[in-house]
Amino acid sequence: MRSLLAGRVGSQVVGSLALFLILVLGGLLYASVGSVTRDILVTQMLINAMMVVGIQLFIGNTGILSFGHIGFAGIAGYTFVLLAMSTEWKERVLPNAPLGLVDISLHPFGATAVAMIVTLLVAVLLGFGLVRSGARSGAVAATVITLALLFVVHEVGTVYADLTGGRNGISLSIGVLLEGRTWVYVALFASILGSRLFKSSRVGRLAQAARDDDLAARSVGIDPAPGQMIALLLSVAIVSVAACLRVFELGTVAPSTFFFDYTLLTLVMIIVGGRKSITGSLLGVVVFTAVNELTRSLAGSGSGAGPLDLVLREGLTDIVLGAAMVGFMIFRPNGLIEDRELDDWVRTRLRRQEPRPAAPGPAPAPALATLRATDVVVDFGGFRALDRADLEASNQHIVGIIGPNGAGKTTLLNVVTGLIRPDEGSVTLKDRSIAGVEPFSIARAGLARTFQTMRLFPSLTVRENVAVASLSVRAHREDGGGPSVDELIAHAGLWELRDRRARELDYGNARRLELARAAALTPVFMLLDEPTSGMSDTESLAMIDEVRRMAECVGAGVVVIDHDLGFITGICDTIHCFDQGTVISTGTPAEIQADPAVQAAYLGVTAEA
Amino acid sequence: MTDLVQTLIDGLGRGSIYALLALGIALIFGVMHLLNFAHGETVTVGAYIAYASLVEMELSWWVTAILIFFGAIAISVVIEFVAFRWVRGAEDFTMLLTSFGVVFVVQAFFVMYAGATVRSFPRPEWADRVWQVGDLNVGVIDVVTIGATAISLAVTAYVLRRTMFGTSLRAAAEDFDAARLMGVRSNRVIRQAFIVAGALAGVAAVFYLMRTGQARPVVGLAPMLKGILAAIVGGLGSLSGAVLGGFVLGITEVVLRAWLPEYLVGLTDAVVFAFIGLFFVFRPQGLIPVEAGERV
Repeated sequence: MRSLLAGRVGSQVVGSLALFLILVLGGLLYASVGSVTRDILVTQMLINAMMVVGIQLFIGNTGILSFGHIGFAGIAGYTFVLLAMSTEWKERVLPNAPLGLVDISLHPFGATAVAMIVTLLVAVLLGFGLVRSGARSGAVAATVITLALLFVVHEVGTVYADLTGGRNGISLSIGVLLEGRTWVYVALFASILGSRLFKSSRVGRLAQAARDDDLAARSVGIDPAPGQMIALLLSVAIVSVAACLRVFELGTVAPSTFFFDYTLLTLVMIIVGGRKSITGSLLGVVVFTAVNELTRSLAGSGSGAGPLDLVLREGLTDIVLGAAMVGFMIFRPNGLIEDRELDDWVRTRLRRQEPRPAAPGPAPAPALATLRATDVVVDFGGFRALDRADLEASNQHIVGIIGPNGAGKTTLLNVVTGLIRPDEGSVTLKDRSIAGVEPFSIARAGLARTFQTMRLFPSLTVRENVAVASLSVRAHREDGGGPSVDELIAHAGLWELRDRRARELDYGNARRLELARAAALTPVFMLLDEPTSGMSDTESLAMIDEVRRMAECVGAGVVVIDHDLGFITGICDTIHCFDQGTVISTGTPAEIQADPAVQAAYLGVTAEA
Repeated sequence: MTDLVQTLIDGLGRGSIYALLALGIALIFGVMHLLNFAHGETVTVGAYIAYASLVEMELSWWVTAILIFFGAIAISVVIEFVAFRWVRGAEDFTMLLTSFGVVFVVQAFFVMYAGATVRSFPRPEWADRVWQVGDLNVGVIDVVTIGATAISLAVTAYVLRRTMFGTSLRAAAEDFDAARLMGVRSNRVIRQAFIVAGALAGVAAVFYLMRTGQARPVVGLAPMLKGILAAIVGGLGSLSGAVLGGFVLGITEVVLRAWLPEYLVGLTDAVVFAFIGLFFVFRPQGLIPVEAGERV
């Protein structure tokens, strides 16, 4: 946490300023030679940049694909025009405007503010669906909701001519003119800064964790919804101001101003550079402004500016955009610079000089706590995965679960951590029922788990992976305490790798990180699902020590599923053997190994055979 | 009673086109988890084929219909081969944007080739005829559309249920990985899905274009969107659900048109979109949940 926030605002201001200056100075340099059209082009580029920064804030941090942000922009754009037009002009072009709009004329600032508020209200409503669509039901709901918005705005703009001027839109005639580009500069800088602050904030990191892996995020106590909603609202706020500027700059608004073409343009800009990176998105803006200029001059050269040239140019630009979209999706879906930012390398360099934290001592012996599952039944369709299964574990011991494939071990773990709702039976932690509770609440209550198929947050760094877990829990528990994020990282042997992204780790280190992340919840129990899968015998035996060490330093009990008998008999005090959805034997490792029922389950022989 | 029957006939006439498109979209979603925005481009290509055939070559609608049908299959297969094949199995994000990009490439091609303006072609002279049956006004085009759709659906159902090709296709739509393990060849089965989807879209395009008589680069957007919404309402991946979704959408439109006040009739589409969008706000998992979830 401290490590995430330290010096945050200062370094973010510097980083934002760098991006802003590169963009603006580059633009001014280009505009300084050549005709006035270049001046207009630069203004448009800066406004597009702001729009893109706004959209990227949502898509980049949440991973939810929105086709509808330009619809939000449309709402803002029309509201702005309707409020900012002079009354005389409105009487001429929109005499039948409803709601007494004819008599209203606001200063552009006031109109922008109202436009933003109106758009935010729509965003709150749609946001409820967008954040719940998350990773669970795939991208379908988000696609439908955002596309519907885009089309509704376009249809209303086209059809409801009394309000919107219909297909040809409304041309603007505003008394007060904004001089020069001052406000474009201010708004753009504020957007970049806002986006960067959000990205590095607590809420931002939690949202990114959920973007990387929704399920893992919930398992470390993160409820993705609030972060995604905040991202949406910030994003829509930026987009609506950008929309007002765009309308102001074009001097007109029409249904086509904010429709498919502009959606494509902004999306291409975002993905080409790298949708998870602000720097990347701005790079995309520059690249496509340049490409646009190039196709313009290519198509424009030749016979002069006839109507055919215009058609060629429009078509050519769109083909380039569409082809770029398809090409990048096929060959480089994460964009040119993926999730890196301009100042990443500077910061890694600074971090190198931190002193290595001392190893945390073992936590004081925790009060006795029990995790108990009783008579749990789970049916998958006709298949009974768990048939009155029991489990009892105390946090003073290490409990193992073994059993052949399909015996229901992982299913039980999923029930205990809230991923599967049991059909019957009870689950209690410290004698409080946790059956049917949301996974993130269970994680906060003290159950941390790892997954059979490791689930890290690949684009977050090692430190961030551990920090988001720690953050999500400490905000909801008073007892606090426990080792710090850095101590845990050092303790897991990952100190040298702390600024690496999780996807760059090798297998063993990734396993260690998952363990450290679980420990960061300072849980009552750590539930480990096959921590040694894919490891050699020596590595498995080394794992015994590592699991013990991590559990001891946070004072957690351990429940571990594994197939590796060397590992499980070496680490466990008690073992439950599962077969066909129920416990067939419980005892010390030695007792379990001697039990004929266990041998029968593993070898597939019955007692009499 | 008369009103009800009238609504039903009008609604099924419109809904037929959506149902055919939705079925293709659901089929493709089934085999490769791709929400195919580019499906509407079969209609765009069909529209320019119609213009070329009817206006420039002065061929009959019979010949034109056949050309549109095969044109739709061709473009469907080409798009799969050029774009979708290469993003198979990628994240939703990647596939959605790929199909979004394809839409623009096709549209931009026609902007360059034919211009952004509307090109009209003659509709068949019987398309506007109306039969009087008692109090009912039955549009000939509606009857023909419903009939052709019924035949197409019957043929599709036969192919899917009774042939080896259909069985492997359905198996792949249910569980692509399992089907592959059982020896279904992935490239082939996906191509076949695009052929079937293209053929269904071809039939839809013929009757859609007989009604509208216009070619524009963006002509495919509206039917594509309706088809996608219908498929989603039907649960995506459920083939019969998609067909049902198409008819429900068609009937809803007709009912709305009759029910909305005069000055809002133009907003029928907007109301339908808004309704479906809001439905997903409150029920993101859809009418029928798309997928059970992932294994952990």
